Amino acid sequence: MTETSRFRIGIDVGGTFTDFVVADMAQERFLFHKEPSVPSDPSLSVERGMAAIFAEHAIMPGAVELVVHGTTIGLNAIIQRRGARMAMVVSRGNRDVLEIARLRLPSSYDFTVPREVPLVPRRLMFEVPARLRADGHVEERPDAASLDSIAAAIAAARVDAVAVMLLNAYRDPTLEREVADALRARLPGVPVTESSVLWPEVREYERALVGGLNAYIQPLMTAYFDRLKARVEGLGVRGPIYITANNGGTLSLETARARPIDTVLSGPASGVVAATRIGAAAERRELVTIDMGGTSADISIVQAGVPEFTTATFVGDFPLMMPVVNVGAIGAGGGSILWVDAQGVLKVGPASAGADPGPVCYGRGGTEPTITDCYVSLGIVDPTRFLGGRMQLDATAARAALDGLAERLGIAGDDRALAAAEAALRVASAKMATELTKLMATAGVDPRRYALVAFGGAGPTHANLLAEEAGLAAVLVPTAPGTFCALGAILADVRRDYVRTARHLVVPPEAAGVDEWPKVAAVIAALEAEALGWIAQEGALVGAHGLVVSLRVRYPDQAYELEIIVPESERAGLGARSLAALFHAEHQRLYGFVEAASPVQVTTVRLGVIGRVPPVSLPKAHASVPTVSGTRMIRHRGREIAAAVYERAAIGAGSVIDGPAIVEQPDTTVWILPGWRAEADALGTLHLAKGAAAVPREAMLAEAAR
Amino acid sequence: MTPDPVLTEIFFHKVTAITEEMAITLQRTARTTYVKEAGDFGCALATPAGRFFAYPKVLGVSGFLDSNVAPALAHVPDLEPGDVVITNHPYASEGLASHMPDLHLIRPIFADGRIVAHAWDFIHSADIGGGVPSSISPRFSDLFQEGFQIPPVKLVKAGRMNEDFLTLYRANCRVPEVNMGDIKAMLAALLVGERRVHDLVDQLGVEGFLAMQRDLVNYAAAKARAVQRLIPDGTWEFWDLLDDDYVSKVPVRVRCRMTAKDGAVHLDFTGSDPQVAAAYNIPTGGKRHPWLTLKLMHFVFSHDRTIPINHGMFEHVTVEAPAGTIVNPEPPAAVGIRSATAIRLNEAIVGALTRAKPGLMPAPSGGIMIPSVLVEQDPRTGRRNVMVLQSLVGGTGGREGADGVDGRDSSLANQRNTPIEKTEEEAAAIITEYALRPDSGGAGRWRGGTGVIFSVRIAREGSAVLGRGMERFVFRPWGIGGGRPGLPARVVVNLGREGERELGKLDVFHPRPGDVVTIMTPGGGGFGDPLERPAADVLTDVLDGHVSLGVALRDYGVVISGETIDAAATLAERARLAALRGPLPAFSFGPEREAWEAVFDDAAMLRLNAALMRIGAHARSERRRAIFEAVIPGLPRAGTVPLDELVGDVAEARARLAREIDSLEAALAGRAA
Repeated sequence: MTETSRFRIGIDVGGTFTDFVVADMAQERFLFHKEPSVPSDPSLSVERGMAAIFAEHAIMPGAVELVVHGTTIGLNAIIQRRGARMAMVVSRGNRDVLEIARLRLPSSYDFTVPREVPLVPRRLMFEVPARLRADGHVEERPDAASLDSIAAAIAAARVDAVAVMLLNAYRDPTLEREVADALRARLPGVPVTESSVLWPEVREYERALVGGLNAYIQPLMTAYFDRLKARVEGLGVRGPIYITANNGGTLSLETARARPIDTVLSGPASGVVAATRIGAAAERRELVTIDMGGTSADISIVQAGVPEFTTATFVGDFPLMMPVVNVGAIGAGGGSILWVDAQGVLKVGPASAGADPGPVCYGRGGTEPTITDCYVSLGIVDPTRFLGGRMQLDATAARAALDGLAERLGIAGDDRALAAAEAALRVASAKMATELTKLMATAGVDPRRYALVAFGGAGPTHANLLAEEAGLAAVLVPTAPGTFCALGAILADVRRDYVRTARHLVVPPEAAGVDEWPKVAAVIAALEAEALGWIAQEGALVGAHGLVVSLRVRYPDQAYELEIIVPESERAGLGARSLAALFHAEHQRLYGFVEAASPVQVTTVRLGVIGRVPPVSLPKAHASVPTVSGTRMIRHRGREIAAAVYERAAIGAGSVIDGPAIVEQPDTTVWILPGWRAEADALGTLHLAKGAAAVPREAMLAEAAR
Repeated sequence: MTPDPVLTEIFFHKVTAITEEMAITLQRTARTTYVKEAGDFGCALATPAGRFFAYPKVLGVSGFLDSNVAPALAHVPDLEPGDVVITNHPYASEGLASHMPDLHLIRPIFADGRIVAHAWDFIHSADIGGGVPSSISPRFSDLFQEGFQIPPVKLVKAGRMNEDFLTLYRANCRVPEVNMGDIKAMLAALLVGERRVHDLVDQLGVEGFLAMQRDLVNYAAAKARAVQRLIPDGTWEFWDLLDDDYVSKVPVRVRCRMTAKDGAVHLDFTGSDPQVAAAYNIPTGGKRHPWLTLKLMHFVFSHDRTIPINHGMFEHVTVEAPAGTIVNPEPPAAVGIRSATAIRLNEAIVGALTRAKPGLMPAPSGGIMIPSVLVEQDPRTGRRNVMVLQSLVGGTGGREGADGVDGRDSSLANQRNTPIEKTEEEAAAIITEYALRPDSGGAGRWRGGTGVIFSVRIAREGSAVLGRGMERFVFRPWGIGGGRPGLPARVVVNLGREGERELGKLDVFHPRPGDVVTIMTPGGGGFGDPLERPAADVLTDVLDGHVSLGVALRDYGVVISGETIDAAATLAERARLAALRGPLPAFSFGPEREAWEAVFDDAAMLRLNAALMRIGAHARSERRRAIFEAVIPGLPRAGTVPLDELVGDVAEARARLAREIDSLEAALAGRAA
């Protein structure tokens, strides 16, 4: 290695392992590393892992140009309710905004399902005589005496953080700022968060949560970022640290400190970023990603190469209104427990053995059979080679547990444990496929045009079963699916989203009324200026930038809006006429009619700014003919079949493997079903497809056209 | 029979997913805000015989599982592939459509020349004509006022749209474009259902598909019966009261006699009051019906969350709902707000289950669902703007092991609320308070959830506040096993300000600019002895502001000074209260119902109703009102004057009642002779 070498390091912290992907920018190669996680201080495993990589590959710390880190500290703190003791200050009459929430209870059928525990207990909710009207006019402004008494009450409650959320503050943040400043002055050392600074969007409960959750995790996150920075710099690394964000982008450490809420759902988003990139390299732009680990399986949809976003997701029990990459849980993970109900019917989950005690085959005290026990018993996973042989699995114990399950199911025969295991995988696949089908229906897309990108420890093992069940076109298995989220971290650009209310009537020339488009245009321009000001401060690595503008639009008499994403080509010339046309077209597509003579009502403008980071090249795989390293008997559809076993490292570009086959690699096992064929592309990504049609359809069509 | 342990589970997930995909398709493309915001729609797959074997778990209205599409289809002979039947008719469909804004579509699914299933969906459409926009008003007395009646007819015939019908339909609703958008969305959802069913039939074969339907239904039936065996064998009776029948202040009684035997449950609603001349009647066709069995479904599902949601859940349930009563009205009785009666009916079932075995069910919730509406007038244009201010509910009741939920209630619709900021975007008025209502939850070992206080300050001349579905102003959500009832609902103008006035139940109120109108919803009933509630929990409630110091002392016997419990004083106070109180009652109804039933007891009501049912439906309502007002002359003032005050001397009232019934029976006997 020389001093001129440049490296980027992506780090993803998981429950068991912290994953590292190092991109060697000079030699276009990737290095991988797994370090046991230290739950009490994740920055310690970051430090240890980096030190190990530096030593093993003789990397000079000074040659690291960028560290991108994904953390679940904030998410875990919210789920486990270990955040700051905090108070919230709200407008008079609105004390119960967190108690009443959005009224709906979790179950319509089951009266025993409890509601969420409010983020802030009622006694720490404080009303202040401060209120705006919906037009931004100040209805009520607190005097010094009322602020004194609230500050005194908060001080007496000895809280670590305060969030302020005033009604209608999304229209104008000034009053919230006045109240927050007054509290800061009276409560030295206590951080005070304003809801409208973080996310000025209408809907008080959701905005209270944006401010509240940010305040809740900020002390913890700030302390963590400080430790992380000290440890990384202590190793001699001089490159900046970025933190992965919920929107699939990254943020500088300084921004992440101020807005930790933007990072809480970043882990799954990073995997989707990597999948999009791997898919693009494989000429696949319509993708479903599946990240299947020990406790859960998460899926996400990518259309035309762009991850799907949502503004209706949850962080633990709480809705989050900010745009995030849309990742949905579909239940089963490797640790999902198999059981039999009183009527003798087989059930998979929702209980999970998790990582501890884990499946029976882990030998750590688990007694209930799990999905992973099925893989091992059926011969799909080699018990001696799990995690590259670092963990020996107890196949006998797994089979014994499944035998007990078979007995409860009333299955007979010597091999009843295997029959039960196969049945369990069928049920699990059916459940996952139904959830996947529903997600695709929600997006309005056809599964037959989509390829499944599988990653996580169990994703590639189960992907082919799922693709067959759900009728997906193909499966893509990247070269290092076990460290895929860490890879996504270094592939991501810097990104932040902005929102403003802009309730204006837009009247195209053919409709009657006063056109307020110039006001909308002014809001877009203001957001753009703010976004560009921010991105300019976000670090030297950030190069060119891009903007994504979307508007929420409706007909004036409608109660709900459509999200209109302005195409890049239309942005410069956007006006009343073109916006109305975009809205009419979307309305026609969804509802089959338009009100062509009607003006359209804009309600909200959103803008995303993307700072391009010089791209990482994905390393090419060498070309080779794969050699079979062995044969394994696998139980499939009631029969023992012989599957060829390959080493992933030996599968070069252009390799073709016919199922039934197993591909072993240190971080996972790929199961290729009979009747399916796998081909490795230039990057080494395996494309699985039924029969011989492994090449993408577009390529096939191009071939046919010739 | 034993279901296949693996195939049944897989089939369950697959068919559930089909219905959910239908629901997603419908929800994504429907136009009306009832679908978009409130989720007032449904999708399912029915057996060839017409009952649902697959139903979404999380999407749409949960309560229509026990529906039957067969009566509607019986009106349409010669079904063929590509047909879609439409109806909104409460009587012709035997309650499949339980009020007329609900538009129902049924698509028979054919395979190998026979019907293997029916795809079904419905939406609450924005308007179906009739006397008011959105087609629902309590004051309607018959179906003709409630809008355009659609007996079951073919909307699509062998794949061809029935354009004549659409022409007629469009001419009869106020927002035809919106409604047509909804119909398109419903048709698209049915097609998704048909396509997916065909995929399944391809895999399983027709016989296999039908056999799996049966297995899945039997599986649910076995599971439901296992839960229903928690109900001890025997017969239990319970009744609950609606405050009034809208046209008068005469309460309406819904009565349930439940018989359980080895997990089979019979619900007999005989003795419920006659149908009313307002839109509160529940059309059921006198058969097993979702509005009659909903609470049993909640009971079963809450005890076994793995149960497949299909009609098998009701396999071991039978009902009796006599014609001419409020639970099986004769046409053309109005049905628009049948939900208000259904809530009370559900609570009668809760009471019967509780009599069978206390702890099977929570105490009743606040028991109301008020879409409070504000009408504002633009001072320049005069244009009227009608908007829902808020969906208001009470809290849920306490139950064995848990307090009720404050300010929320999933028991009927489980809707979302409207953010204050969204309301204020539309309204000039300002929402000055949307908060939990202290001390409203019934005291108990497990406290009832509190209701809410909702206040709006009026900004404009000519404004009006409307509150449909206002109930529990007179009769409180009752407590169980020593638990106290929740506070009743109130509406007050200028609460705590000059000119404070109790409005009682409001239909339409015309406030002046600057007036503050406050609606208070009831709290849920308490469960178990309040003196058994740990003092620390009472202290927590006091510190969090759910219970005042006074109520902590009066109802719970907990003495608190500063922020701590005075243990010795609490012990003494609780002992004193326990001695004073005597044995714990099974139910605590509150003074209003106790006073009412001291006069109108069950025996008298059964006798009166039996006689009234012999009068023609058109005359029955008037006669009934005359009798009650003769017995309780102050009755028209109920709602603002406490009922126990109006009842006055019980013995005298009872004597008047006896005379009234005697004279009615004599007249009927004379007529018969």
